[in-house]
Amino acid sequence: MNLLGISINHRTAPVDLREALHLSEEEIRNLIQQTKDKVLSEGIIISTCNRTEIYGIPKQNGITHLDLQNLIINFKSAAKVSEENFQKFISRESVEHLFRVATGIDSLLIGDNQIFKQVKDSFIISEEMNFAGFLIKRLMDAAVRVGKRAINETAISEGAVTVSYAAVQLVEKIFANLSKKSTLVIGTGETGEIAAKHLRDRGIGRLALTNRTFEKAEKLATELNTAVFPFDTFKDHLHKFDIIISATSSENVILTKEDIEKTMKKRNYDSLVIMDIAIPRDVDPACKDIDYVFYHDIDSLNVIVQQNLAKRRNEIPKVEKIIQEELDAFFDWYNSLQVAPTIKDLRDYFESVRAEEVGKNINKFSEEDREKLEIITKRIINKILHHPTVELKKLSDENSASDFSSLKISVIRELFGLTGNKQNQQEKN
Amino acid sequence: MIPFIHTLNALLPFFYLITFIIYLYDFQKGGEKFHNSKRLFLFLTLLFHFLYLMLRTIQFDHPPITNVFEIFTILAFSISFSYFILELVTDIRGTGMFIIIISIIFQTISSLFIQDLTEVKEVLRSNLLGSHVFSALLGYAGITISAVYGFLYLILYKELKTSKFGLIFDRLPNLEVLEKLSFYSAVIGFTLLTIAIIIGIIWLPQAFPNFSYTDPKLIGTMLVWILYGIGLINKLTGKWRGKKLIILSIIGFALAIFSTILTNFLARSFHSFY
Repeated sequence: MNLLGISINHRTAPVDLREALHLSEEEIRNLIQQTKDKVLSEGIIISTCNRTEIYGIPKQNGITHLDLQNLIINFKSAAKVSEENFQKFISRESVEHLFRVATGIDSLLIGDNQIFKQVKDSFIISEEMNFAGFLIKRLMDAAVRVGKRAINETAISEGAVTVSYAAVQLVEKIFANLSKKSTLVIGTGETGEIAAKHLRDRGIGRLALTNRTFEKAEKLATELNTAVFPFDTFKDHLHKFDIIISATSSENVILTKEDIEKTMKKRNYDSLVIMDIAIPRDVDPACKDIDYVFYHDIDSLNVIVQQNLAKRRNEIPKVEKIIQEELDAFFDWYNSLQVAPTIKDLRDYFESVRAEEVGKNINKFSEEDREKLEIITKRIINKILHHPTVELKKLSDENSASDFSSLKISVIRELFGLTGNKQNQQEKN
Repeated sequence: MIPFIHTLNALLPFFYLITFIIYLYDFQKGGEKFHNSKRLFLFLTLLFHFLYLMLRTIQFDHPPITNVFEIFTILAFSISFSYFILELVTDIRGTGMFIIIISIIFQTISSLFIQDLTEVKEVLRSNLLGSHVFSALLGYAGITISAVYGFLYLILYKELKTSKFGLIFDRLPNLEVLEKLSFYSAVIGFTLLTIAIIIGIIWLPQAFPNFSYTDPKLIGTMLVWILYGIGLINKLTGKWRGKKLIILSIIGFALAIFSTILTNFLARSFHSFY
């Protein structure tokens, strides 16, 4: 299989170079348009914040990885990116890499299932642009299946691996039903905003925001449809909340142990979760000594993140096993696709030689011998082709060494000059 | 039939042990391997145990409720059976090993010391005794489960307070659920024990005319009952919650067990049947 693949990712290039080649959806569509015309007969382009990848079948012989690299570098006018910033794949390697990407084991954040969705979206774009041919469609079906199997059959995507998700996981270990709980987010910077959005997605009952710059809090509150408290009076309302997430850029502590003690008295010591995800910390850590106060700072949340990442790393061999199974299945299919036309081409070729020679010499035989001649020559051809046919059929049944099978088929095609027929076959597909 | 009863008697602790090991494995490893099948193991163990109890009743012509070792086997059954129902109703599957281990203890003691009695004291051949023992045992199962969940609550509470995120954090249900499980089990246990006490008091004067109000069994039982009563009133009026109630439930359970051991083995009480 002549499937080419190139990838620039977190392992091959620093963030500025990855950014330089990042493609928006519109850019992907434009690049597909250019690629379709000159370089690839079918393919797929994937671009996320950590990787940009192109896979495809070359339009003609002689097209290499370098052509794909130059295509994207020129498209993005990214002169700083060089050849070393790319990983290059061909045939089985390309398929394997795509499967690794789809399962998230190639991601910076192992098991990140965002990438699975992004791969599916890229496939939809390819289909819409008529860039996904017979082979790419089948390849993407397999990639989606691998991704789903990895999620369902292993724990590769389980557990929180970001601080915000870890905070939500922790809250869920204390409270049974988030829809009956209320949260106050102090500080509406990026971290606070992400935490607020996670909690809203998990169905938190009531969400309120406060921020030193009131307008900023108001803006996010409008987006999330939540209440806002002015920063100088928010402490008066603390007791109304079961969860407090603090993520301000304040240099000093904004909630002291006394503040929390007062709050707890007003709450009649109903459990209170405090997630202090600010650096430096916003809440006095001594408040963890108060009964029913569950105080966690960024360090303790990072413990959860690291533990979950370690668990995910332990799942990688299971995912790799699934990838190998699906790779074998994919190449079995691909080889079976190749074997049948090769047998037919081989038989057609021998039959054409036989018919031609019999035709040339038919007049040298008497009327009654001509029928025998047909039978005998056909029998000879059948006997000669019996063993190669059996061997070729075996290739389609073999589960391993799929690349080797492809090699055998291509040698037979070259030896008997069947290459032209193969190209015709591919074009038909 | 007797050899078969003896075989079952010897095997039951091992059945509970195997079920416990499967629950333990599932607790440690997680994943899907024994997620559903462990419930089947528990069900089969309970089925064999039920068969054993039925066969004993038929063979020895009385339900196995006439001495403490007979009671222990029913207690082992009641605790695991109550947990089984709880698991089916709540679908909380991560806590089975903590309950089943208690059944192992009671069943092992019972299997070691139980005797094939066909002669039963005349006083124990009473219809009221059946309902008294039945409600008392289910009541004990309730307060045992309440204490176990209470204990798990305290462990998880401590892990969460000290930011330790180990197996307990991964596998146990959340604090609110543990608190609820402990509370509702205590309510059920308290109600059934109350019924057992009422039946006991009705039956007591006719069965034991010479009983004394200062009998250790009566004092112990009343203490346990008052303790749970105080806890329930304070919970229902919203005064107590969380740790305080749970510690009370654990003390109540310890006191109930201590009182049972004291009255049946050590002190001279009308309730000493062994």
